[in-house]
Amino acid sequence: MTRLRSLCLVALVFAAGCLDHATGTTRNASCSLTATGGSLGAQSIPVIGCGLLGSRYTAEVAVLDTTAYTTTWGFRTAQGNLLAVWNVKGNQPELVDSVIVSGATTLGDVAVSDDGKLLIVATERTNGSLVVFDLTNPRHPVQLSRLATQNTYNGVHTAEVGRIGGNLYAILAIDALSGAPTPESKVVIVDLGDPAHPREVFEKAVPSTDPFVHDTFLRDGLLFVALWNAGIEIWDVGGGGQGGTASAPVVIGSVATIGGDAHNIWWLHDAVSGSRYAFVGEESGPAQIGVSSAGDIHVLDVSDLAHPREVAFYHVPAAGTHNFSVDETNGILYAAYYNAGVRALDVRGDLETCTPGQQVTTGNITRCDLGAMGREIGRGLGGGGGTLAVYVWGVELSGGALYASDMLNGLWKLQTVQ
Amino acid sequence: MLVMTLLVISVADPSSAQESAIALSGGASAIALLTNATGTPQNRTLTEAYLTQPMASADLRAGWFRATGILNFEGLTLRRGELDLGEWGEGYVDRRHPHAYIHELMIGAQSPSGPLAASVYAGRGFVPFGSDDPMVRPFASYPVDHHLAQILERLVVVAALRGGPIVAEAATFNGDEPVDPSTPPLARRFGDSWSLRGTLFGPAGTELAASYANVKSPEFREGQGLDQRKTQLDLRVTGTSGPFTRYALLEAARTTDIDRGRPFYAFDAFLGEAAVCRGDIGIAARWEQSDRPEEERLLDLFRSARPATDLSILGVTQWTTLSAAISLPRLDMAEAHAAPFIEVARITADRTTAAVFDPVQFYGTRSMWRLSAGVRFGIGHEHDRVGRYGVAAGTAVSSPGPAAHEHRSTPSHHCFS
Repeated sequence: MTRLRSLCLVALVFAAGCLDHATGTTRNASCSLTATGGSLGAQSIPVIGCGLLGSRYTAEVAVLDTTAYTTTWGFRTAQGNLLAVWNVKGNQPELVDSVIVSGATTLGDVAVSDDGKLLIVATERTNGSLVVFDLTNPRHPVQLSRLATQNTYNGVHTAEVGRIGGNLYAILAIDALSGAPTPESKVVIVDLGDPAHPREVFEKAVPSTDPFVHDTFLRDGLLFVALWNAGIEIWDVGGGGQGGTASAPVVIGSVATIGGDAHNIWWLHDAVSGSRYAFVGEESGPAQIGVSSAGDIHVLDVSDLAHPREVAFYHVPAAGTHNFSVDETNGILYAAYYNAGVRALDVRGDLETCTPGQQVTTGNITRCDLGAMGREIGRGLGGGGGTLAVYVWGVELSGGALYASDMLNGLWKLQTVQ
Repeated sequence: MLVMTLLVISVADPSSAQESAIALSGGASAIALLTNATGTPQNRTLTEAYLTQPMASADLRAGWFRATGILNFEGLTLRRGELDLGEWGEGYVDRRHPHAYIHELMIGAQSPSGPLAASVYAGRGFVPFGSDDPMVRPFASYPVDHHLAQILERLVVVAALRGGPIVAEAATFNGDEPVDPSTPPLARRFGDSWSLRGTLFGPAGTELAASYANVKSPEFREGQGLDQRKTQLDLRVTGTSGPFTRYALLEAARTTDIDRGRPFYAFDAFLGEAAVCRGDIGIAARWEQSDRPEEERLLDLFRSARPATDLSILGVTQWTTLSAAISLPRLDMAEAHAAPFIEVARITADRTTAAVFDPVQFYGTRSMWRLSAGVRFGIGHEHDRVGRYGVAAGTAVSSPGPAAHEHRSTPSHHCFS
């Protein structure tokens, strides 16, 4: 592991002003292009600032108080092996540190534990691993351990962190890999009770007919698993009353989402409407990274966990969704939408009752169109045809601001929808 | 030298034993190659040497029975792949992948020649789709369209019917492409893909062929990756004029990636190549313009993972290559020969969309050169064509389909072999 540190150099007008320290190259975009928000339409989400990274494609974002962490993907002018650490206290994110994770081509996911003590990073592809960092000094993470096993060999696509029965676990989604000893995609659960010595406690291969698991969502002892063409499954890992545990989950429900390609999930605990809905991101195609994407948000009614059903959807023409972050206090879901930037949806209340004109029937399933229902309440980063190309991977709400990781440009700090 | 250590079972002239006698023939070949290429990933100029296309082959004919096989030893000599900008497939990018040890192992039955003739072959080998194996064409370097214009090393059953100048072939096979030289295809996937090829053999050594293939998940061995619909059309001409032999090929190919019936990406290829020889000396030229999907690279920038983690690509690059080759006088010693040659190629890579893969950023330039010099070694019989079986293999209208492969029946470009 090599540690690289740099200083934020110059504050440009409307720009973050952070040198891409990894290569010393200057930024390739300017916040000024979107600072006005003028092209974003009536429901624009204003930009507060940005931190630009030009040497690598930015991937996921996680935020802890005034520190944000972004990972990197693939090869641009350097491998996607850099974890960037940003000071986001001010308007403009400042790059204050970075860590190179050896042997990785992509750091596809990053997450912070609920106590703020640990940061976990997923590494791809072959010889994939889970890297655990100590956040005693949040601005300068220190590697605590690295779990690389036969189960993680194909590559760790995503890593979520959460508690089951008070103990900390990481949930890993493992890539499929042709010709590998175990070519199937799989879910691996890792006990982080002793973060210096992470320990696999469960692994389950995904049937090749599905054929991927891309992401999971852990909450209240239930694990929502996105199983691509198979839709989603809900596992009892300790909170479902079916006897499931972290080391022996029990599948209690499933549903095939329309169109498949189920990528990510958020189980909403809304302050008003409760825990009735789960939102599933569809990562479909065709998609050329940087310019195009496809895939809707699917809304599932999970009030009966054993029999979830799809009740609504949200569609953006010529764009597809990726990861979510939800303001559960105000009932607003923010979705990364790749080339369409960021979208904000009002997800409070009944999402499955709508007029016939707001309904779409696919096969024998009738769903409400959230767009037609006027549930879209905000667009950010070019969603209205802005001039700056963006390709937003992830979003994270923290401290009253919305952070968006943009593969092409870096990290954006946005206002939230009021 | 590997080629010298291979046992040649026997050497026969297959054309003299067409339908009656038992004929067993064998041979071996390899190319010692030195290549210099500019504009490789991160704008590096690389010079590499290797033994490429080391092969041993054998053919057996006994009455109606046929057997043919080619062992390919690139898994031993070419693990990192052969430097070939634009080339892609089986997890290699900008390097041509090593082929399977069992490149071909087919047995078959063939009816006697006549107005109507038929053959059936089964084993691991070439699917009746597209043009001949580039290994038996004038250039040592493979064209970019290899994975658009050929399907090979599959478990396949091929039926062919010939009536006069027309040949129709149909096949069923496993869609999964090889994952490495030694891993066999997944037997359970046999039959999940199929292809058709029709060929019209015309006068003066011309043939016009059209192919269609429906390939299930070629890049995800487990069977749930993107499918492919492939089409290919080619016109091939071979012949002799006095002391000169000539060969030409024009082809167009399209591969469309399909997700559960929905077309996603289409990749086109156009290629023209020709060679003229007088004795051992010859010249050849090739022009090609082929699309390539750009995918996530690994730590080794000449590699990509199979399958991709989702349905996206990084863009489509159009590769335009103009190549020329010279075959120099060869040295013959009994049944063995050594034939030196030189190849040069001017390569350009153009971005076709605004997607993130930018050739200029990745290679440091959009224009590259490749210069190669080498020596082809051979002993025993030489394949003139590979990729057709039984009654589909012949070229001359007057003598249809004598062999599993063609063995010097038309010396179209033997100066490049």
